[in-house]
Amino acid sequence: MRLYVNESSKADGKRVVLDDMLLTTDLPTTAGSKMLENYVSLFEADIISKLRNAGYSVCGKANIGEFAIDLLGETSWFGACVREDGTLTNASAEILADDSIDAVICLDVNGAPRRAAALANRVFIKPTYGTVSRYGTIPVACSGETVSVMAASTAKCREALSAIVGHDDKDGTSLSEAQCALLKSDAERKAVKKVALASSLTASADEETKAKINAFRASLEAQGITVTEIDDQLLGAANTAWNVLMAAELCNNVSRYEGVKFGYRSPNYTNIDELYTNSRTEAFGDLLKTTILFGSDVLSTDNYMKMYDKGLRVRRVISEAFAGIFKEYDAVLMPACSKCSYSEADVKANKYIAYEENVYTAPASITGLPAVVVGGVQLVGAPFSDNSLLDAAEIYEKEHK
Amino acid sequence: MDREALRRLEKLNQLQLNDEQKEDVLAFFADQYDRIDKLSAIDTEQVERMVHVMPIFTVVRDDVAVQPFTRDQLQKDAPETMDGYWQVPRLVE
Repeated sequence: MRLYVNESSKADGKRVVLDDMLLTTDLPTTAGSKMLENYVSLFEADIISKLRNAGYSVCGKANIGEFAIDLLGETSWFGACVREDGTLTNASAEILADDSIDAVICLDVNGAPRRAAALANRVFIKPTYGTVSRYGTIPVACSGETVSVMAASTAKCREALSAIVGHDDKDGTSLSEAQCALLKSDAERKAVKKVALASSLTASADEETKAKINAFRASLEAQGITVTEIDDQLLGAANTAWNVLMAAELCNNVSRYEGVKFGYRSPNYTNIDELYTNSRTEAFGDLLKTTILFGSDVLSTDNYMKMYDKGLRVRRVISEAFAGIFKEYDAVLMPACSKCSYSEADVKANKYIAYEENVYTAPASITGLPAVVVGGVQLVGAPFSDNSLLDAAEIYEKEHK
Repeated sequence: MDREALRRLEKLNQLQLNDEQKEDVLAFFADQYDRIDKLSAIDTEQVERMVHVMPIFTVVRDDVAVQPFTRDQLQKDAPETMDGYWQVPRLVE
């Protein structure tokens, strides 16, 4: 498990770890890629000053998969995080075994930290899009990626989220201070009374995952919350649309890495084209290369309308489908991934497994809706319902302490 | 997607795949195309594109020139520099 440790961090007080998509000026930021192996940023993520103001010290950085688009972190140039039994995990989830770490701040690009939290039984919140500044994060899929919090408990998750929420002039997608403040007040905090269960997404998961959904459901029902199965076929389409949009945005965002101004430069070149091509070819891993090519293809003249434009329109259809659900229900319960563990063999047999597992994480990613993971399952809510989702998570947490 | 189209994409994106990777990527594309075809079942003709997930408007800031970093700072992570410039191979013979 690769970590950078900040020796100057205070041993006492509240401590956070950042995943390696968040820029720091005193530690390297690699995005899990050979391309940025020794890169140290000149400026830091906006949320770091917010964390400091709230009394947190940043005590280190956690390894992630290359540009955070894989299943759990297995594509990192610095190696996957593998448990002794051969199952995959990720550094952000594992470091929380240390009680002195209050939270890990992650960039949820493509669901990897959300899945890791579900597998390692951590609490996770991907807040409403735009409520936490993305300034100083390595951009990949800007229209959906969200700075998120993983912690060992709901209370620690809530506290760290409250520290980083807020408007930032430097981020053009940052919501107004009044909107961000909704996450710090009780204005939008309504008790979750009716939960919709995404039936086909749940049916597609394995038995162990279904058991977790049932356990969570039972906790809610014991408190008088109704859980009703709904037809969620439309939400399944979010995956395909998100993969198209994510790849298109990634393709543009990683075009800046060419071996000239910063990052890896191949020693093998005789002209500028070879410098660009060999640097990128030698530094980037297979999943990233494929995603760049796919993103470029969906934006091509031939495919733009059928693929990228269609993806943007499907995003609205999904968003409106959720809005319809939230007229009747307070949250949607669904798995965060299809299984309760993944081995190295799983990702070797299918290196594009994240494209399939996104079926559970894409609905919240493509719509910017808040999503909470607890007890290995996921609750998705309406915009600004973050605290209500955490309240529902707390119900389960109290019963399963 | 065929090998020739893939070669053009590689060139456009300054990447070079080996034969095994090409086969792998072509299979991936075929799978994604199948999935994208299924999206046509969702009628989006009258649906507006959704670029931003939240109602976000273009932010206009005061046009004030700032220089937060020095040349040395900006070049500290450069693979190669010379006399304060980024160094690249000769572009014009």
